[in-house]
Amino acid sequence: MSANLVEPPLAKNHSGAGKYLTFILGRETYGIEVLKIREIIRMVDITVVPQMPGYIRGVINLRGKIIPVVDLRIKFGLSRAETAERTCIIVVQVRTAENSAMLMGLVVDQVEEVLNIAKEEIEETPDFGAKLDTSYLLGMAKVKGTVASLLDIDRVLAAAALEQISETCPSAA
Amino acid sequence: MNFPKSLQLGEKIALELVFAQPGKDEGLLPVNSLLTDLAEEVAAAQPPPEAISRGLSLAREWVDDALVAGGFSASLLGRLSQFVSWLPVALRAWELDGLIPEVPQAAGNPPMSESPATLPATASAAALPSDEMVLNLKDNEDLLREFIEESREHLQEIELGILVMEENPEDEESLNAIFRAFHTLKGGSGFLNLGPINRLAHELESLLELARQHKLRLEPHSINLILGGADALKALVEAIQRQVSGADAPHPIRADIQPWIEKIQQAIAACQAGKTAEPSRSSPTPGFTPAVVPAEGADESAAAGNANSQSKQNNGIVKVDTGKLDSLMDLVGEMVVAQAQVTENIDSAAAHNQLLARNLAQLRRITNDLQRTAMSLRMVPIRGTFQKMTRLVRDLSAKAGKLVDLQISGGDTEMDRSIIEEVNSPLVHMIRNAVDHGLETPEVRTACGKPAKGTVSLRAFHQGGNVVIEIKDDGAGLDRQRILAKAIQRGLVQEGQQLADRDIFNLIFQPGFSTAEQVTEISGRGVGMDVVRRNINRLHGKIEIDSRPGQGSKFSIFLPLTLAIIDGLVVSVGSERFLLPTLSVRESFRPTAEMLNSIHERAETVNVRGQILPLLRLHEHFNLKPESRDPLNAIIVVVEAEGHDHCLMVDRLLGKQEIVIKGLGPTFQDNHYLAGAAILGDGRVSLILDVNSLVSADHLQAAVG
Repeated sequence: MSANLVEPPLAKNHSGAGKYLTFILGRETYGIEVLKIREIIRMVDITVVPQMPGYIRGVINLRGKIIPVVDLRIKFGLSRAETAERTCIIVVQVRTAENSAMLMGLVVDQVEEVLNIAKEEIEETPDFGAKLDTSYLLGMAKVKGTVASLLDIDRVLAAAALEQISETCPSAA
Repeated sequence: MNFPKSLQLGEKIALELVFAQPGKDEGLLPVNSLLTDLAEEVAAAQPPPEAISRGLSLAREWVDDALVAGGFSASLLGRLSQFVSWLPVALRAWELDGLIPEVPQAAGNPPMSESPATLPATASAAALPSDEMVLNLKDNEDLLREFIEESREHLQEIELGILVMEENPEDEESLNAIFRAFHTLKGGSGFLNLGPINRLAHELESLLELARQHKLRLEPHSINLILGGADALKALVEAIQRQVSGADAPHPIRADIQPWIEKIQQAIAACQAGKTAEPSRSSPTPGFTPAVVPAEGADESAAAGNANSQSKQNNGIVKVDTGKLDSLMDLVGEMVVAQAQVTENIDSAAAHNQLLARNLAQLRRITNDLQRTAMSLRMVPIRGTFQKMTRLVRDLSAKAGKLVDLQISGGDTEMDRSIIEEVNSPLVHMIRNAVDHGLETPEVRTACGKPAKGTVSLRAFHQGGNVVIEIKDDGAGLDRQRILAKAIQRGLVQEGQQLADRDIFNLIFQPGFSTAEQVTEISGRGVGMDVVRRNINRLHGKIEIDSRPGQGSKFSIFLPLTLAIIDGLVVSVGSERFLLPTLSVRESFRPTAEMLNSIHERAETVNVRGQILPLLRLHEHFNLKPESRDPLNAIIVVVEAEGHDHCLMVDRLLGKQEIVIKGLGPTFQDNHYLAGAAILGDGRVSLILDVNSLVSADHLQAAVG
């Protein structure tokens, strides 16, 4: 059930305007730049990798390649959800700390649509101080009567690498 | 001052650097001490050569800094590798009283003040810009890369071809191959405006043209000329490579090829004048720095071994990016999985439908063939590596004054490309040892009643799923007594302790172990065999020694066919499945109540035929929900890690299968329990456990509580 998204690359400007894929986690809408997205697949069996932080669900087989899967709900501190019919995995290409490209899967509740978001529709992320780190948000977009948080997915997952080190100490069983 | 010795020291430095890695200090101490020796050697000369001393002291400063920093840095390795490629050139130039080129300066270092020796060179270089190559990196980068890649191949072909010609001057096919290779080089370099390469290749081509017309017989002098010319071309190509790869800052490359061109022209003129070329020892034209000067009088009596198979044409080869190969392998693996699933689903229907059953069987056959072919794409014959040794032996025997016949067999044996690459430097080391230590000098050999010419044989063959590479010499053999004496002196062995031959021979793999009488010879510092063994262990291989006094030694290296496939035991814990490499599994069984015991009710043990082994519950360790917490309902797998046995408790054994190892990527690089992952028959991923870190973490936890 993979749908390869072959959007022509847009002239990338750093105002954040461009094409975004929106998806839902709980009651919230999020967006990821379409250029980062490789494909969307339906939920598959995930092989659990022990002794990893909770938001790393494990690894899957993507046509012969083994890629890690991150549960975005847990990554963002939302409650864990059971796999439902519309749960799916968005496969994104991210840059690692060594600046090489790698594929990663993101478990989300449901994928919505691809939107062209103009510069005027994007607001800066409000500052929440110490309560919430928003450094990985590109901004907030007002779309269709709701607000979508636009994710800088490289930073979301780069932060993952950092936390992982502090959390992977073997838990004495 | 002893030239061969200095050259050898330089080579040893180069060899140490082969194993050095940025951020590690492995090899740093040997390099430091080798540099010190070399500096002493150079300082002993009258008068000491300024340019070489300067280069050496610079290198020693770098290494001193690295010693303070506690390891090599990437930039230091880059500088040192330039240094070691400069060193032999400089030493040879000095030996022939030529002008010595300056040590290459890495970008960022202040340029050294110019020595008087190089001043005229610089001056005349300005007058003769045709001796410089300026790379137009911006426009030609891709073309240059391609040129470098092709040139390397052509130069390799030339070298091998020439060595065949040396044995058999009538080999037209090799002659034509060399001629074509120079011709292609000439064309490519002309197109890219690399004047010096173009001119030198042109002269060499002309020389070979004479040989093709049977006007010139390729005798030692002209063969040396061609080999030397090819080396000079190689040095230029490598200089280009360094700029293209960004290791060197872009700058015009000085190509000091004039001495070569003159020598070749002399040879051509001499030939056309109707006589064979005289080995001329013309001093370099004043004003030119001979960057590469032919090694004069290299001992031609040394045979180069038989590389006759080389003259075969290799037809139709396509170069493919390894990334593409890997994804092909991935997809073929998936196809096998998909085929198995389809077959399983339809099998019951196929029972009633003969046509469908036949078609399915056909599909299965094709898929299996496809998988085998895809796997074989990574396999290459080891011949190329073996043939490089031909040149090595030729040079080594000339230097050591020994007569050596290198016999190669089994060059067609295929292995995984990555293993062949890794096995190259251990082989170089062991061939060196065989020529230096193994074989005696012709006088000694004759006195012992052996033929004056020693034999080193290099053989590869399959044996029980492994590839064996055998290096055998008919020299003096390992000296049991001396190894033993040395080991006692170093406290490795107690006096009076009885050891089997095999254990004694294995002592030479101890770090820093050397029995060579003259430590300063080419090898024999003991900074070798331990590295060789470490490299082979890393490839999951092993090395064995067999030696008889007076008859010679045999080193056998056992290597797996590929690093990509291992035999694995599939076990399950709850809903998860894990793979254990079969190599580390000893046995498995369902325990009985009498076997189980515990200490403080925490640490559990299993009594396996009288041996009390620690028990590790995999489900507790990984925080999984098992089918049963009672070991009596579970399976115990005895694994061996770091020489000790441990028991792992798992729910079930699901079977044994060949698995293709895949990397897990950077996300899991800090998870030491995992050695990789594999895709099982149902398409799901399964993790391969690293038994060593599993049980060492087990120790840790037991100690903590």
